[in-house]
Amino acid sequence: MSHQTETKVVSLTNRLNDLDKIAGALEDIAELWSLPVDLTMTLNLVIEEAFTNVVNYAFQDESVHDIELVIQKIDNRLVISLKDDGVAYDPTLNSDPDISMSARDREIGGLGIFLIKKMMDKVSYERRGEANILTMEKLIAD
Amino acid sequence: MLQVDFSSTAGYTVAHVIGRLDTVTATDFEGQMSKLISEGVTRIIFDCTKLGYVSSSGLRVFLLVQKQMSALGGKLKVCCLQPSIREIFDISGFSQIFSLFDSVESASQH
Repeated sequence: MSHQTETKVVSLTNRLNDLDKIAGALEDIAELWSLPVDLTMTLNLVIEEAFTNVVNYAFQDESVHDIELVIQKIDNRLVISLKDDGVAYDPTLNSDPDISMSARDREIGGLGIFLIKKMMDKVSYERRGEANILTMEKLIAD
Repeated sequence: MLQVDFSSTAGYTVAHVIGRLDTVTATDFEGQMSKLISEGVTRIIFDCTKLGYVSSSGLRVFLLVQKQMSALGGKLKVCCLQPSIREIFDISGFSQIFSLFDSVESASQH
């Protein structure tokens, strides 16, 4: 069985200003692949959360590091992977925040990975050589 | 891009949050809110009619302001969330933390 695959590769660095690049790339593929506005926003959100985590926590020096974002549409599946050469870290092992707490007790932060897990259908992590690869998948409704 | 316009109604300062609240723009938003609170404002409405995007960094600022209002005996109300933003509030438990309203008017009267 042949699959219909479309791929977009976005080269990023560990600078938060590259969030604009991510938003721009998503606008492009939303048009090319006819993605609904809500889905595009969800994809932007999960990529931002994953990317921001990498930028803020993966590197112990001040150097510029390349981060590769690959967005694929395979039939009715969207597969997003983010690859960095930072310290080994599996964000899928993070414990979920307690979302039933009041504002007073609720901790600031810890929501990013939780949102990714909730909004995507599948999230997996792999350490390949010196690279962290986080893969996030979502089915597109017909 | 994020823009915050301010107005007042019925004793509340209304912050009209317009555009994208991401990791970069949230820093600026946090600064503007800190300034407002340092000026003694304790009754705030966030009008999110034109808020098209929010990430966890933006939610973090909402929570920070809520905590500060609680500590000061003030009030923070949030109105007019778009459905996709409301979904993020629901998933993260923020719909229970904040007083949500459908209009600036109802937020200022309850």
